[in-house]
Amino acid sequence: MGNGIIGKPIPRPSRDAKVQAYLPSVVAGIGVTVKHFFKNTKELAFGQRNDPVLEAFDDGVTTISYPEQKRPYPERFRGVHRLTLREDGNPRCVACLCCSTACPAQCIHIVAGEYADADKKGWEKYPVSFVIDELRCIFCGYCVEACPCDAIRMDTGQHAVPYDSRDQFIYERETLMSFSDPSGRQLTENPKDDPARGHTPDRLKH
Amino acid sequence: MPNIKLDGREIPFMNGDTIIRAAHRAGIDVPHYCWHPGLSVAANCRMCLVEILPPPGQRAMRLDVLQWNGKEYVSTQKPKLQPACQIGCTDGMEVLSDSSPHVADARKTVQELLLLNHPVDCPICDQAGECRLQDYWLEHGRYKKRMHDDIVHKPKAVSFGPTIVYDAERCIVCTRCVRFVEEVAKDPVLEKRERGNLGEIFVAEGRQLDNNYTLMTEHVCPVGALTSKDFRFKARVWFLRSARTVCQGCATGCNAHLDFDPRNQRAYRHRPRDNEEINKYWMCDHGMLSYARAHEGRITEARVAGVATTVADALAEAKRRLTNPGTLAIVLSAEHASEDNFALVTLAKTYLGAGDFFLAGRAPGEADGVLMSADRNPNTAGAVQVASTTPPKPLADLVAGVSAGRYTHVLALGSEAALDGPAIAALSRAKGFVAISAHEGPIAKAAHVVLPACSWAEMDGTYVNAQDTPQRSQRAIHPQGDSRPGWEWVAVIAKELGFATPMRKLAELRRAMAAEPSASLPPKSIPAPPAE
Repeated sequence: MGNGIIGKPIPRPSRDAKVQAYLPSVVAGIGVTVKHFFKNTKELAFGQRNDPVLEAFDDGVTTISYPEQKRPYPERFRGVHRLTLREDGNPRCVACLCCSTACPAQCIHIVAGEYADADKKGWEKYPVSFVIDELRCIFCGYCVEACPCDAIRMDTGQHAVPYDSRDQFIYERETLMSFSDPSGRQLTENPKDDPARGHTPDRLKH
Repeated sequence: MPNIKLDGREIPFMNGDTIIRAAHRAGIDVPHYCWHPGLSVAANCRMCLVEILPPPGQRAMRLDVLQWNGKEYVSTQKPKLQPACQIGCTDGMEVLSDSSPHVADARKTVQELLLLNHPVDCPICDQAGECRLQDYWLEHGRYKKRMHDDIVHKPKAVSFGPTIVYDAERCIVCTRCVRFVEEVAKDPVLEKRERGNLGEIFVAEGRQLDNNYTLMTEHVCPVGALTSKDFRFKARVWFLRSARTVCQGCATGCNAHLDFDPRNQRAYRHRPRDNEEINKYWMCDHGMLSYARAHEGRITEARVAGVATTVADALAEAKRRLTNPGTLAIVLSAEHASEDNFALVTLAKTYLGAGDFFLAGRAPGEADGVLMSADRNPNTAGAVQVASTTPPKPLADLVAGVSAGRYTHVLALGSEAALDGPAIAALSRAKGFVAISAHEGPIAKAAHVVLPACSWAEMDGTYVNAQDTPQRSQRAIHPQGDSRPGWEWVAVIAKELGFATPMRKLAELRRAMAAEPSASLPPKSIPAPPAE
């Protein structure tokens, strides 16, 4: 096979007395712990302790009392999916299967159906069943990217919840429709992008 | 043979060919919507415009045009383009299609016109994935929408009849469907009304689109205007795979594509597969909907006395019933492939010494004068062929024979048969009745032991149509449940009875069939799909 393995030489740490005798480092470590102990005790005693969630990003207290206290997630955090609703409470989803096509984990299963004539109101197709296996989901967000109707979103701000049995991770249509974004909104933020009905997008208006 | 030159490539043509037909035959696609090889020429979509160079020594036909150069309109000239679907070929004609910038410009503009009022509801359109508007937009369009107005709204989801839904907004009014019902189905119920962007297709007053070829209108529709109620919203086509099968609806043996989803192993639809000699480009509704037999009424488990059981138990019972039969009658099936029938004939003649053959199959219907034959079985000719010197007799003779005690044992292939209740009861009074059946039916009902056979969708097989053309059908889905191809069951029964038959593999069986000249005509190879 020829050349064998060519390694990258890595300089070894110097073996001076300070490194070899580990005691100084132990003392320094205990020092950090003791410093935090006195700081926390002082702040608790004097009532100076601020919101630990926000403080978590500062130096100092690094512990929060999860799950009573939670770290704030970034705005674009991809949480558990939700299905956005129309004004009439029906899902915006038109069961085009673009999300399940895009899904690399193949965790979305949709059965499409047709509204009865009386319920059509301009829409023909809807998901009779919309199931996401949150155990298979890898939270990549491709389904949200693929959705032409802004019907599936991952802006719930919730991460995958631990359950004690597998079937609880199978989120059905009604479950997904019951979720909202952190402000409690169940509708979409983009009402204009509804290709199912002849709505002229603003960008095309005179 | 005379030639034309298309984009510098020599293409032979036959007398009377148009440019697009000569190109189609040579496997070159000139973009088109309204032209269809099996229909008359309408030349209304204008997508197939090509540039035809003038004959040597003659002036080119040119048009004065104003062209926008980014600042102002300048007066210039461009060649007059002509529809490739309507211009006949002449020897030495030079045609520019993909290589002409004027043609590229025309295609883009035609595409923009056709999509001007299109609702772009691809997410809910069943045609998405096999739509020419999508394909050609990607190939020749790729412009940004320039129209700022709301589109013209037209009727959506109009029911045209029991099988077809029409969406006028998606329709490009190419009139393929109108021409199809008139020219092929001979039932002119569709017509076009209004003009320009208000144009739409409608059904004749007081009529429905309800002949035997309604689903073909959906198939010829190049866009999603006509969709099938049966297939509506069931699957997205990009998930489906196609197997090249032979339709099982009648003795015509139309070439078909069986579209199935490999993930859940379900068949979703039949589409015609072009074959000039058999079905041209068409299939009837009866045949197109017969894909459902891949799942409907399938027997997927072995049965003894009508009760589901394990294969081992059923085989033990079959062995007990068939060991030392008195007089054995063999039932061949016009529904099963020649391979199944041949295996059964070989077992009967060579090993069991049985010589009395009968033929089971679906009861005949009426021929419709277009494609559908009166014989509703796909392989009557094949079953008769493999029986060769001992032609099979009608099943009524078997019923009479069993009742009279002439036959004590029956080994049968097939599911459907023209048997009524008393006949079934009479048959089940035989001492041993072993059946290899794919579907529920009189034979499975009468039999003591039923072994689950594969339907045509689950196995490779040869079917001989009414014109004595043997055609191969490909496997689409995996065998369901415990089912196995009929010829495999025959081999298994032979092994149970202690015979070593040379039928372990399909290739072996086919070699044996080929060696039996009376039993087989050389199967024609499956024609390659045309470049559509």
